[in-house]
Parts: sequence; C-alpha cells; structure tokens
Amino acid sequence: MRFQYVLSEITTGLRRNLTMTIALVIVVAISIAMLGAGLLIRSQAETTKGYWYDRIEISVFMCNEYSTGAGCADGAVTDAQRDTIRQTLESHPEVDEVFYENQEQAFERFSEQFDDSDIGGIITPDQLPESFRVALQDPEQYDGVVSAVSGLPGVQEVTDQRQLLEPLFRTLDGFQLVAFAITIIQIVAAVLLIGNTIRLAAFNRRRETGIMRLVGASNFYIQLPFILEAAIAGLLGSVLGIIALFVGVELIVGRFIAPNLQFTSWVDSADVWAATPWLLVAGVLFSMLASFVTLRRYLRV
Amino acid sequence: MILFDNVSKLYPTQNQAALESLTLEIEKGEFVFLVGPSGSGKSTFLRLTLREDKPTAGRIRVAGKDLHRLSNWKVPHLRRRIGTVFQDFRLLPNKTVFENIAFALQVIGKPRRQINRDVPAVLELVGLDGKEDRLPDQLSGGEQQRVAVARAFVNRPLILLADEPTGNLDPATSVGIMKLLDRINRTGTTVVMATHDQSIVDQMRKRVIELEHGKLVRDQSRGVYGYTR
Ligand SMILES: Nc1ncnc2c1ncn2[C@@H]1O[C@H](COP(=O)(O)OP(=O)(O)O)[C@@H](O)[C@H]1O
Ligand SMILES: [Mg+2]
Repeated sequence: MRFQYVLSEITTGLRRNLTMTIALVIVVAISIAMLGAGLLIRSQAETTKGYWYDRIEISVFMCNEYSTGAGCADGAVTDAQRDTIRQTLESHPEVDEVFYENQEQAFERFSEQFDDSDIGGIITPDQLPESFRVALQDPEQYDGVVSAVSGLPGVQEVTDQRQLLEPLFRTLDGFQLVAFAITIIQIVAAVLLIGNTIRLAAFNRRRETGIMRLVGASNFYIQLPFILEAAIAGLLGSVLGIIALFVGVELIVGRFIAPNLQFTSWVDSADVWAATPWLLVAGVLFSMLASFVTLRRYLRV
Repeated sequence: MILFDNVSKLYPTQNQAALESLTLEIEKGEFVFLVGPSGSGKSTFLRLTLREDKPTAGRIRVAGKDLHRLSNWKVPHLRRRIGTVFQDFRLLPNKTVFENIAFALQVIGKPRRQINRDVPAVLELVGLDGKEDRLPDQLSGGEQQRVAVARAFVNRPLILLADEPTGNLDPATSVGIMKLLDRINRTGTTVVMATHDQSIVDQMRKRVIELEHGKLVRDQSRGVYGYTR
C-alpha cells in the first residue's frame, strides 16, 4: 500500500469535490446533532423517571373508629391486625422498606400541609388514619403488594402513587419512543444522503476509477480514497454536530429550561461529554459504511 | 494464451447474440487482427477476455486462468497481466505524460523506485522521451495514443488488447502506432487488435480473425482485410 499515493488522492479528491465535501460535512453535522439530541431526550426521560421512581411509595391506610367499608367492620384497627399487615408487607418480596405513621404523625403532616387554612383547627388526630408507607424494590412492580394487603382486615384503603404518576410515565415513554424513531429515521436519511454524495463523487471520478479497474487496481485500492474521504468528512461533521449540541444544551436547557423547571434534574454538558465518543464513532463509522455500501454497488469489477 | 470454447454472449437488452458459439485459440506471442463490420462483436470479444463481462455460455481461458472460475477479487490480478488500448486514449487530462503512466503502476501498489525506473524506459520505447512533463492536450493524437500504449505496456503484460487504436488517427500516424505494436509483439507479448483499418491489416500480413454478427467467418494466418468480399 502506497501511503503517499492514497494521501494525495484523498486531498485532491476533497479539494476537487469541495462543495460535495462541504455538503457531506453538513449532512453529517446535522445528523449527529439530531442523533445526539435523540440520545439526550432519552436520557432526560430516563432521569425524570428515576427522579420520580425514587419518590414512589404505596400507602396502606388503616381503619380508625369512624371508618366505614368492608375491612373496617370491627371498628378501628387492632394491634393484632396491624401486626399482620406489617408482617405481610415486610415479608413481601417486592417491598423494600416499610415506615409506620401513627395518627399523631399524620396530624402533624396534615397540619403542615394546610398550615394557613382553618381546616387544621377543625380536624383532630383521631379523625385521621394511621398508615404504613411502603417503598418498593422496583417501582414498576406494585400490583402484588397492593393486592396482598388490600383485603386484610383493618385495612381501609391502599393507594399507590404509581397510579397518579402513570400519565407522566406514559408521556415520558412516548417521548423516548419518538426520540428513538427520530434517531432511526435520521440515521437512515444520513446514510442515504452520504451514499448519494459518495456516488456523485465516484461519478465525478469515473475516468480515474475506470482506468484503475483497467490496469488491475484492487477494489480496495479503488475504494479506499473514497472511504477515507467519507471518514474525514464524517469526523469533521461529527465534531461540528457535537459542538452544536453543546451550544444547544447550554443555551436551551442550561439557560432557559433548568432554572425555570425544577421538578427534575436536567441534562447538561456532562451528558453531552458522555455521548461524545459514541457520536464521533457513529459519525465516522456510518459515513464509511454508507460510502462502502454505495461503492460496492457502484464501482463493480 | 487466449482460448474461447463455444462462447456465446447475449446482452440482456439485445435479441441477437453479440457473440455466437465462438471457438478460437490465440497462442502466446501471436499478433492477431480482429476484423468485421461495426457491431460484429469485436469489442465484446475484448471485454470478455478482460473479464469486464461474463459470457452467456461457453468457456474462456486467459493466461492460464479459467475465467468462469475466477473469483471477483482475483480479477484485478488477471488485468495486471493484460494491457489495454482504446480508440479514445483514455488519458487523465490533469496528469502529465509521466504521471499518467506512473498512475497505472501506483494503483497496483508498485514502489516508487520501480516507477522511476520503468516509466522513463517505456517512454523511450514509445518514442516520447523529452515529453514526460506535457499534459495530454499538449500532444497530438498519435502522441496521446503512444502514451496510452506506454501505460498499457509499462507493467510488461502477457497480452495487449487494442480496440481500434488507430480509429481516431490519420493513416501516417496509424502506421507509427502499428510499428510500435509490432515492436511490443516482438518482445513476446501477445497482441490482439480489433480494427476497421483495411490498409493496416493488408500491410501487416498477420493472422486475421473475421467476425460477422458475432460468428467466426474467417480465421486466416497472414491474411488481408477483405478476403471474403
Ligand atoms: N453493453 C451492451 N449492452 C447491450 N448491447 C451491447 C452492449 N455492447 C455491445 N452491444 C451490442 O452487441 C453487438 C456487438 O457489439 P460490439 O462488440 O461493440 O461490436 P463491434 O466492437 O464489433 O462494433 C452490437 O449489436 C451491440 O449493439
Ligand atoms: Mg467496438
């Protein structure tokens, strides 16, 4: 392999097809920026889910003396009933931790929540239910716990926040799906565009490649300059795309979204750094792959 | 050196065969004219020999290789043993004479030392020494064809295929090219030349293979162009 020949062939190729090269760089830059944005949306959704997952718990409210309902036929929960409920929860494999909240504690929390209003004065502790707060091993798995304690005597009601947050999670799942779809479409579009650009480049140099074939240059030798050209353009494009991503995250998320919306933690430049090696590899690899596939079809022996 | 055994070639878009049951053998070191009217299958014969295309039926052996069984990645190695010259020269317009010839060696990975030795030698052989730094458009048609012949021959091929190499040249210049091809043939290289040029064929008195509608109609040693008409 004559390195110098390949090198001069690439530089003349890049120079001669300057507009094409620029087009290639731009295509890759946009694709990588979109791909990166897709990845960031995914990880944002992941972060948001995690943030809320950590706060998910199941509340098992027990009967007080005013309770009605099937489980409260015997009036307020007895010590024996409470122990059964606790044991059921603690021995359940999906349960991580169990906290007990008595009526006094419930009243304190209640008072804090309605600090300014008058309700605090009307309600007394014995009107509030005592409860178990249950943290789960896996927030996705809550059905088992809920059904295990729901029917027990002394249990007035079981609520899980998962139900409240379900719409949020569904939305986030949707976001992830859309981001994933956009990423796939983007990759396909980029590969087609790169392939087309390389095909034009090959067409522009058909005289050279025709002669190369005639004098017995190997396919590898004929294709190598094109593939390396694509790799260089891919690298340049990826770098530009990643820079655009940093700027975008800094301006849109860092300056605008994160300071104003604080219900979760937001992606930042650290996440872009984490994605950078993958994006570089993807940009170079997809460019090379696209040109390789195109050339295989286009520069046959 | 070249063996066609019952070879037929039918192009997909055509309903008449470009070559039909063609059987012939060309020995090492021969000089052969391939004649026949336009469309008789001369170029197709050369393309099949180069494995630019595959026959529809029949077997072809070139330089000891069965082309039917030659895998794609070995085709370049076959072509390194075959030089080719065309009517339209096929030079690279932005490369000098030297670079055009050197290109053929570079792209098959020959070292610079060999290029700097072989290119001047072949330029001298074709009578272009002193013009190595010219661009193709600074040369006459005959000179351009000499560059093309030099490029085809610089790697000392076993076979030289020429498809109407004098088609674009005036008679006097054509004679010069024919002398050059004859000289190359004398080094032991097998030369196959497709041509329309009657006077050249008549002068050279070499083996003549005549095709008509893809069929072999004459194979004559020391022949002339228009024997059958
Ligand atoms: N690539 C091709 N596709 C379809 N038909 C072709 C092709 N090349 C040649 N032909 C046909 O095959 C026949 C022989 O052509 P060719 O070998 O070029 O003849 P010649 O070189 O003697 O003029 C002609 O009828 C021509 O039209
Ligand atoms: Mg022809």
